[in-house]
Amino acid sequence: MKMKKLMALTMAAVMGASLLTACGSGDAGTTTAAAGGDASEIQPVTITFWHGMNNKQEQSLTELTNKFNSENEYGITVELVNQGSYSDLQTKLMANAAADTLPDMAQAYNNYFTDYVDKVVALDDFVKNDYPDWDDILESYRTENSEYGKITGVPFNKSTYLFFYNKTMFDELGLTAPKTWEDLKHIGEVIKEKKDLAAIGYDSMCDMLEAALRQHGEQYVDETGALFNTAGGLETVQFIMDLYNNGYARLVGEDNYFSDSLSNGMIGGYVGSSTGVSYISTDIPGKEFELGVAPVVGDVKNAAYNAGTNLVMFSKDANKQKAVWEYMKFITSKESTLKWAMDTGYLPIRTSAYESDEWKNFMAQDITAQAAYEQSPYGFVSKASFTGSNEIRSVVSTTLNELITDKADAQTALDTLVAAINDVLE
Amino acid sequence: MKSRKPMAIAADIVKYVVLIAGALFTLLPFVWMVLSSLKSANEIVQIPPTMIPREFMFSNYAEAWAEAPFPRYFLNTVFIATVTTVGVLLTSILSAFAFSKLDFPGKKIIFSLFMATLMIPGEMLLITNFITITKLKWIDTYKAMIVPWLANVFYTYLLTQFFSNVPDALYLAAKVDKCSDLKFLFKIMVPMNKNAITTVAILSFIGSWNSFLWPLLVTNSTNMRVLSHGLVRFQSEAGTKYQLVMAASCILVVPIIIVYLFLRKYILEGMSYTGVKG
Amino acid sequence: MKRKSFKGYAYLAPVLVIMLVFTAYPLVKAIFMSFCENYSIINGSHKGINLENYKDLFEDKLFIRALGNTTLYVAFVVPLSVVISLVIANLLNSNIKFQGLFQTLYFLPYVTSVIAIGVVWRWIMNSNYGLLNYILGFFGIGPIGWLSDPKYSMTSLIIFAVWKSLAFNIMIFLAALQGISPDLYAAARVDSTPRLRVFFKITVPAMMPIIAYAFIMGIISAFKVYNEVFSLFNSKAGPVNNEAITIVYYIYDQFYNNYKYGIAAAGSVVLFLLIMLFTMIQRLPGRIKAKKEAAQK
Repeated sequence: MKMKKLMALTMAAVMGASLLTACGSGDAGTTTAAAGGDASEIQPVTITFWHGMNNKQEQSLTELTNKFNSENEYGITVELVNQGSYSDLQTKLMANAAADTLPDMAQAYNNYFTDYVDKVVALDDFVKNDYPDWDDILESYRTENSEYGKITGVPFNKSTYLFFYNKTMFDELGLTAPKTWEDLKHIGEVIKEKKDLAAIGYDSMCDMLEAALRQHGEQYVDETGALFNTAGGLETVQFIMDLYNNGYARLVGEDNYFSDSLSNGMIGGYVGSSTGVSYISTDIPGKEFELGVAPVVGDVKNAAYNAGTNLVMFSKDANKQKAVWEYMKFITSKESTLKWAMDTGYLPIRTSAYESDEWKNFMAQDITAQAAYEQSPYGFVSKASFTGSNEIRSVVSTTLNELITDKADAQTALDTLVAAINDVLE
Repeated sequence: MKSRKPMAIAADIVKYVVLIAGALFTLLPFVWMVLSSLKSANEIVQIPPTMIPREFMFSNYAEAWAEAPFPRYFLNTVFIATVTTVGVLLTSILSAFAFSKLDFPGKKIIFSLFMATLMIPGEMLLITNFITITKLKWIDTYKAMIVPWLANVFYTYLLTQFFSNVPDALYLAAKVDKCSDLKFLFKIMVPMNKNAITTVAILSFIGSWNSFLWPLLVTNSTNMRVLSHGLVRFQSEAGTKYQLVMAASCILVVPIIIVYLFLRKYILEGMSYTGVKG
Repeated sequence: MKRKSFKGYAYLAPVLVIMLVFTAYPLVKAIFMSFCENYSIINGSHKGINLENYKDLFEDKLFIRALGNTTLYVAFVVPLSVVISLVIANLLNSNIKFQGLFQTLYFLPYVTSVIAIGVVWRWIMNSNYGLLNYILGFFGIGPIGWLSDPKYSMTSLIIFAVWKSLAFNIMIFLAALQGISPDLYAAARVDSTPRLRVFFKITVPAMMPIIAYAFIMGIISAFKVYNEVFSLFNSKAGPVNNEAITIVYYIYDQFYNNYKYGIAAAGSVVLFLLIMLFTMIQRLPGRIKAKKEAAQK
């Protein structure tokens, strides 16, 4: 009785609300950029920058920003606002996009704003009129920031996936870091036989699959669906499943990341983010080892997965847009990107920075930077500018986990992966 | 005192064994948190883990403390948790009284609607509420972190259950004595349910103390942030500095334990009777 | 007999106003969203009002799994937690030594950081070096892959959740026990009634409203389980492929990671109806009893 009344009330409330909100389809006006390139007219202004950087990364960002604030000639003040972790930042941006209260600029992955790309200021004019050396920025980053058909951002904190390995173990077994798929199989065989351990693990399964496909000259996914239902795709999946089915590779399982396993001598090596190196401990008593870092393997091609966010602009005010652009130019300059990279373990975003003497000196004592440099020409970024791209990441990872756990054969694995991806996009 | 039967002694032994085993088990995570906060960076990732740190790294606390403006966070958190708790107690006591002792048209429907609001996950309400707060221009204010939490069905319902245990006769007698409803509520009802109200106070305080996502959503400046925001400072996309998270967690927990001990003492003081005598 | 008047509304006013703005309004909006095809939270646009979201929802195998898992979870966690807490609360309230100390110890998990609890339980349940398998080893059981073997995902989740919900229930039960009038027990002591009988004849009836509360709240919050999954499986919903996914986990994922707001809203409405159904069934015995009694009079 009570529940019936409750249902009736709820229904009435729903219908009332429908009447109220049904007409409220918001306008989808694209945020337009002010004509870039006339910095002379910038009025003193404070701009807000939301980021998800913590620890030493935040420290370095603060130093850079303080430098900009005190040295820029226009009286621009950039106010940094820490928004917690990436996922917190992502949620905050979504909520503020919905309330139309986005900050002037923010750190963001492309898949954060698939739903509100019209609120991201197009930077094409700024780049064209007021960025003399856009070509100096690494190609994969330029491609990434143009995915939506307009320039949506400038690259900022960039990392790449590298092969971290137990050099002590490799030396003992007469092994060197793998360069090709064949090398990897050989290493897997030896370590399995001599140590009864897996030789390799991947922190991110979906990124592993995409990198392997590209290494084999195949394509991965776009808005139409999976693109690897091909002979080459099958060979790639065969290679992956063989690694796992033979025990040369293993899943991360109960641990967070493979860095813990490597630190404890429980795996030969793993592919993980270049920024994760600080989480590897090489000095656990009784388990000390020398760390080796190498570029990821290649097959018919080389391909290395890049990660990290870009800086995007949301400001609607012409003066603020110009101010943000000044800051973006500053933060992506050769000097800034070098300082940033050396402070934090992220990578420079410019060819000229990579080729600079400062970076060469830095690499001489930093093996991670050295390996990252070696594979920088092969970097790619996963396409994220379509609805469902985020969901595909998680679906591919869990599906691969399941296929590997079930020791599936290659054809089954391929069919299942393709079906799972296409299912998301339907 | 009469001589005790062996059966009773055996029962007592079982009782203590169960209590101690249970206490150890429930306490384990807490002890682990404290011990982990004192481990070095390489010990915290060691497999299998150690229980007692090889070397006590008290420096973790200094490092964690330096990472965020904790004193400011602390003041904000204390203020928000206190005001929210006092406020929610007041509104819950008033509404629990209405539900348990007053009769008014539509009471059953309203109560059912109250309960119904609990049945939808809070995650679904978050963005809409955020937009409301934006429209009210409450972003970056204490109001935004306090007002939405001043009504709580969990607590209202809990107090309603306790209040309904108080015999109606008592209320009617008070009425005959020309005691006003408010006076009855605060002079008789509230003191009679001191335990329940203190429990609600503790629950509310802890809830407010630990809240994370909502305060993060509705604040934009570091000055307005709360203690739980200090905890995520040790995480990055590639890993977590667990020893520092644990140190910060310990810092976070100490004030709550103090509040609890204080309130618990207050409960026990008011009690003439402490349980079933065996 | 009490007289009906609108005075009750004065007492309810503060709660009503806040709830209208911050609960009822977003709730109604969520229900509305669930009927909008391709709803966008950003600008409120949609492709039309229909039942597409519900169709998609029930065609999604993951949601069906979430429904099953959540039901299983509720069926085990709530009764286990209430019974165990009731026993412990009674022991804590009896004349034991160090009563205050024990009460504090049982309260501490409630304040321990969620991150710490997740880390510790992942350690306790680790298949290779976890405490649980170590203890079971003495009895010749195991080793069991609590967190690595998909077969045990739900069992592990239920064990963890029962543990986690104890502190709250113990706290409210203690408050209720300490509120029971000593006179009730005095009579029993004169009769030297056995303790177990005292428990069932006096303690339980006196605590009935609070036990009912613990049950209903337990059911509601168990249906909304999310954090437990997230922290036990380390921000995943199971070791391999979402073996321990729950309805709210599914909703959260659809909303915040997949940006499918309408489907998330539809999931919330289904959850809403499900909880309503369960709380109604749960109240049924009491109501039948009341009717019978009324009929006998």
